[in-house]
Amino acid sequence: MNRSSSETLNRLLLCLAGALVLALMWGPQEGNFGNYWFAIKESLFGPRVLVFLALGVLAFLAMTFWPRVVPFLTRPGVWPMVAGALTVVASQTLMHWADQVGDAKFGTVASAAANTNGLAPLASAFFGGLCWAMLVIVVLLLAAGIVSGLRNFGWAAAVLSVVSAVIAYVSHSAVVDFVGGVDHSLGVYVCIVGYLVLLTAGLVVAMSHAQVANTRRAVNQALGWRPGLPLVLIGAVLGAISLATSTWFSPANRNATLADTRNLFRGTGLAPIAVQYLAWLGWTIFAISLVLSGVASYRRIRPLGWAGAALGAIGVLLTVLTLYRISSIGADLHVDSADGPWQNLGAGGWMTCAALFLIGAGGYVAATAPRHSERTVEVDSDAVASGRSASGAFLTAPGAVRSGLMVAIAVALFYPPTANGFWQSVLVSEIGIYVLLAVGLNVVVGWAGLLDLGFIAFYAIGSYTTAYLVGSLPVKPPSWLEMSPLLAIPFAVVICLLAGLALGAPTLRLRGDYLAIVTLGFGEIIRIVAVNADGVTNGSQGPQSQVPHPVINLGPVKITWGLNQLQYWYLLLVFVLVVVLAFRRLENSRIGRSWAAIREDEVAAQATGINTFRVKLLAFAIGASTSGVAGVFFASQIGFFTPDNFLLNNSILVVAYVVFGGMGSLPGAIAGAALLTWLPEFLKDQVPAADRQMWIGAVVLLMMIFRPGGLIPARRRAVELSGFDQRQRLEPVAVPAGEGL
Amino acid sequence: MRTSSLAKVAVIGVAGVMALSACSNDSGGNNSSNNNLTQQPAGSGSNANSNKTYKIGWQGPLSGDNQQLGINEYNGTKLAVEQANAKGDLGFKIVLVESDDVGTADKAPAAAAKLLQDPAILGVVGPAFSGPTSATGKTYAAANMGLISGSATNATLTSSGFTTFHRVVPTDGTEGTQAAEWLAKKFKKVFVVDDTSTYGKGVADVVRKTLASKGTNVISQGVAANTQDYGAIAQRVTQSGADALFYGGYDAQAALFAKALAATGYKGLKMTGNGGKSSVFTSGAGAAGNGWYFSCGCQDATTAPEAKDFAAAYEKMFNTPPSTYSPECFDAANGMIEALKAAVQKTNGNPTRKDVADAINALDYKGITTQVKFAPNGEVANATVNLYQQKDGKIVMLGKIQDQS
Amino acid sequence: MNYLILGITRGSMYALIALGYTLVYGVLQLINFAHSEVFMSGAFGSYAIVHLLVGDGKATPSWAVPFILIAGILSGAITAAVIAWLLERVAYRPLRRRGAPKLAFLISAIGASFFLSQLAGKLFGRLTSNSFPEFFDQNAVIFRPFGAEVRVLQIVIVASAVLMMIFLDRLVSVTKLGRSIRAISEDAPTAALMGIDIDKTISRTFIIGGLLGGAAGFLFGLNFSFGNTMGFIPGVKAFAAAVLGGIGNIRGAMIGGLLLGIVENLVPLVNIDTKWTDVVAFVVLVLVLMFRPTGILGERLGRAA
Repeated sequence: MNRSSSETLNRLLLCLAGALVLALMWGPQEGNFGNYWFAIKESLFGPRVLVFLALGVLAFLAMTFWPRVVPFLTRPGVWPMVAGALTVVASQTLMHWADQVGDAKFGTVASAAANTNGLAPLASAFFGGLCWAMLVIVVLLLAAGIVSGLRNFGWAAAVLSVVSAVIAYVSHSAVVDFVGGVDHSLGVYVCIVGYLVLLTAGLVVAMSHAQVANTRRAVNQALGWRPGLPLVLIGAVLGAISLATSTWFSPANRNATLADTRNLFRGTGLAPIAVQYLAWLGWTIFAISLVLSGVASYRRIRPLGWAGAALGAIGVLLTVLTLYRISSIGADLHVDSADGPWQNLGAGGWMTCAALFLIGAGGYVAATAPRHSERTVEVDSDAVASGRSASGAFLTAPGAVRSGLMVAIAVALFYPPTANGFWQSVLVSEIGIYVLLAVGLNVVVGWAGLLDLGFIAFYAIGSYTTAYLVGSLPVKPPSWLEMSPLLAIPFAVVICLLAGLALGAPTLRLRGDYLAIVTLGFGEIIRIVAVNADGVTNGSQGPQSQVPHPVINLGPVKITWGLNQLQYWYLLLVFVLVVVLAFRRLENSRIGRSWAAIREDEVAAQATGINTFRVKLLAFAIGASTSGVAGVFFASQIGFFTPDNFLLNNSILVVAYVVFGGMGSLPGAIAGAALLTWLPEFLKDQVPAADRQMWIGAVVLLMMIFRPGGLIPARRRAVELSGFDQRQRLEPVAVPAGEGL
Repeated sequence: MRTSSLAKVAVIGVAGVMALSACSNDSGGNNSSNNNLTQQPAGSGSNANSNKTYKIGWQGPLSGDNQQLGINEYNGTKLAVEQANAKGDLGFKIVLVESDDVGTADKAPAAAAKLLQDPAILGVVGPAFSGPTSATGKTYAAANMGLISGSATNATLTSSGFTTFHRVVPTDGTEGTQAAEWLAKKFKKVFVVDDTSTYGKGVADVVRKTLASKGTNVISQGVAANTQDYGAIAQRVTQSGADALFYGGYDAQAALFAKALAATGYKGLKMTGNGGKSSVFTSGAGAAGNGWYFSCGCQDATTAPEAKDFAAAYEKMFNTPPSTYSPECFDAANGMIEALKAAVQKTNGNPTRKDVADAINALDYKGITTQVKFAPNGEVANATVNLYQQKDGKIVMLGKIQDQS
Repeated sequence: MNYLILGITRGSMYALIALGYTLVYGVLQLINFAHSEVFMSGAFGSYAIVHLLVGDGKATPSWAVPFILIAGILSGAITAAVIAWLLERVAYRPLRRRGAPKLAFLISAIGASFFLSQLAGKLFGRLTSNSFPEFFDQNAVIFRPFGAEVRVLQIVIVASAVLMMIFLDRLVSVTKLGRSIRAISEDAPTAALMGIDIDKTISRTFIIGGLLGGAAGFLFGLNFSFGNTMGFIPGVKAFAAAVLGGIGNIRGAMIGGLLLGIVENLVPLVNIDTKWTDVVAFVVLVLVLMFRPTGILGERLGRAA
């Protein structure tokens, strides 16, 4: 009794302390030295601290009464309700809703909408408070349904969430139409997703307990029982929205839908196929492929699935063609000072592409999924029963991984053109490049288990190699060697490979932390040499002249990259795809297994006859050459760089991305890098710029505390971790088992 | 069972469609039915608000290693904007949008894109550093976005085709050459130390080259900017027996260096450039900073009344005295505001980025550090480099460096 | 000769920080990447006290100077110890409970490090070169062995560092806590079976490391300057020093720290441009590790002490 009460007290103190730390972190107050305690006073001695303390107490209550809450949480519909509500709240507090209004966040847009006359009454109502009212009602209905078990509450909530989503969408487009201009905001879409999750919650509540034992089971069934159907459904919603109401073409602040676009281009000499597309072909392809894929996945008919996939692919091509045609004609007419194709396009066309792609993908998944009888039913129930690893149960459903992959590809292909310039730039120069680096480092750290804290050095070597080969450095290459940046890739790869060997050969005999400090030293040495070797690298000034943008010139095919970030994005996508495909094969090859063996126990690996030194060296060299490719891309994309871009901090960050995402898992490394490079850019809108690193540190720390395996742990590690989890109750573990770090 | 739930799902769908059709009538009225593509709608209702607000951007490091320099600059810019808004004679409001580029080239494109994608932003104060400027100058030029930097001093920036780039500070070259000429007049053996950063190395290299061409004996060393211990290099300077020392680098490091030099008892003349001339140096070095000389392409920011007001207002607003590049950015921002004002007047309240960029080229505005007037290539038109010295903890101006003996 | 003295001064600060790395490595086999922030917090904590005591330092009577120095060291050490304790509680213990992979500890420590240094920046300003009030003439030359000048501050730093190291050496070799620390570093599960409270011992190890790091933070701030990002570079160097001496080995960390400090300060003497200082330091490190792959004094805490 005494022990438990002291534990409770500890917990309370912990929560309050956490609240105070949050109070210190939150807000614009900035300390300074003249007034030493200023910021602390500002953040802790004012009424605002009460809010934070209240949060702390809430957290404490939640933790203390957790055991009593848990039974409710397993009830069907609770998780989607929470997730959906949080998504909607997030979209209505943090995200952008209309790019042209102030800082574009929901609050700003809402107050601007409230002060504007002539806005559609529904939109005024929505921004004037209806948005929150609807959310509260939906959540209350769901809660009532969950607690009472009355199904009609669920139906009501489901209906209302659909209506809410529609109202949100319509209000948003009313505001955007009113303001004019191309809109890139994502807030409303996230809001709609949130309501769709709430809809799921409503449906789950509405179905009887016999039909769904719990939400996870329901979702599993949806994914597993009819592979591909979720994709088709998403595609259907997306396609209907984009074809019916989204902006296809937006010259000079007019937002033309598909039908408007057809009218706009009447008599401009638009190619017949595009005219037909705008008139009826688009809708028709959408409808037919929807039917094909839908039936294929619902009735599990494989040939129909293939047909749906093929039609979806054709549809995507036709849509892209149409977009190209209309934007070229727009450029010929200098609409809104356009000077080339692909300008002035709205989100609609790309959304249609994504929709058709997803519908096609649904057909493909349905066509390739294993037959129902091949599925092991035990896996499902097992996973659900064990609870903890149930999130993995989604993955065991046939076609689920493939579906997820398809959604990711759709987003990667068709989201960037609809993003604004800022996010396009972030996608290329932050997310894309660091994903490539993280995938490379994953080989070294995640698979071979070697801690490399100087990884960025190879990136630097790649960049400088490019600068040398294009003649931007003080040392010029012989004239026959001077080349365009993309041709530098093989050279950079070879040079980084050699550098990796040169570093690895003498140092790889060292183990664990000794290797870490040596690689760290190597990284610093490379950077300092770049800074100080004026005659070779032009020192801290960076290359003398700009590194030219890449060009591909193969006779008839000539692609030149300019200032448009999108081009770089697709180039980068090709790189990432190639590297990921190559590494996937590598992971399951003999070498991949040797790496795993070395990582787990080097001595044992050696005993089984693996040449550990050579295999480790190989990992090092492969990682280094990936980094070199990223370096080439970086140099030619940005055109200018200085040694400051290759700081030790960047090396550490890449390691953090890999581990954050899940050591040794390719999707993990990609997700980790993408999330952690996206986060600081997202935070630009939320907190003072100078505080961003603090928040990132906190996020990384919390992630490691609550999910030490990372976002998407490698399968092997996931098993290890849960294994430890159970053993820990028996004996205290002082030192984690050696991992040949 | 099955049919009933299917029916209910259908009800949901119908509800959605009905809501959709009910709502779309509301918004439909707004769409003008312009059927001809070439026909442009008049005016661009750029804001739901009727108050005229224009935005200017600021780009520089707010995080990362050079965070403090960026904060100095941002504060100077912010002060200028707030003062202009508070005065109320503009006829419009200015909103300052900051964009953090971490001071490195690789983060700069995204930072620039953040400013470029907001059509209401008509001009940018910055970029603060030369690296980010090199990485984004072309993009800004393509968008006709006028730039006034308060601190990007790399000489090549104005000859790289960045047509909209301007700066209120002279280049490393101008400053370094004149400082070296002055040193060469008096000394035969000069020790030149740089901090290996783009700025410090740049100015120190010019000093070295000029000194060497004048026949002065130059000893050169570098100390990484993140060093905290200047003991060894100070010892080296003292033992070398050089008559004078030039340090190319920023204020905080210069202060540490000054302290270390005082500890080793170095007797020669000590000098640094614009980057070192600030209150951070004075307060950091304390008594050890007395006697240091500074070359700076700026007017005296202590005698002119506006400058005094500036320092007081700055300290009031940010609880800390203005530091390196704060006054320069204050000037750059005021120049930008002047240009914006001119452009607004000229276009009856609908200026484009191009209008503002043109207005910047035509600027002639008296700032606290310099006359804000640009040569066609974007350099400040008549850059005079002045000599300053710290006396009793205060930096005072001695006069034009070329006139000094 | 002067360079040597500068080297010893810098080296003894490195050694104090390196001890923090080595102690934690001894019991956990983990690099505590956030130790640099522990060090930084020591400087901030001691500044609060010293500033309170002496104001701007101009009117400090000379008899008070030693007491203020002691107060500074103590306050720095205590602040840092508190931070180190919290760090163990927040960034290490939960992961240990979950049996996280080794790299997860590294990353959580890096997260904590970012967080702490930026939080300090938010609370106390992000100026990188704050200085302590000058409450005594730090540069008065005390004596001149072999023509070199030895200054007050250098004596203070070296003397306090040596005192603390002796104290630590005794602590680890003689006391019960020291024995527990050694036992855990030898074989943690067995130590647990022998009735050693592992959690408590690890906590205390962090506290000891924090005490030393905090004292170093004060001395460092007094000698040079301090700011929220001050920890990174000395942290990396001290980590290198700890590895140089043989990580996990207490005497190794002392020797490694001194050696690194001296090497760095001898660079100008052999006529190498000081911009290559870090390169020289890392090259020496690599060379030493080439020939002695576990550092100068071998590996384990338990074996050497």
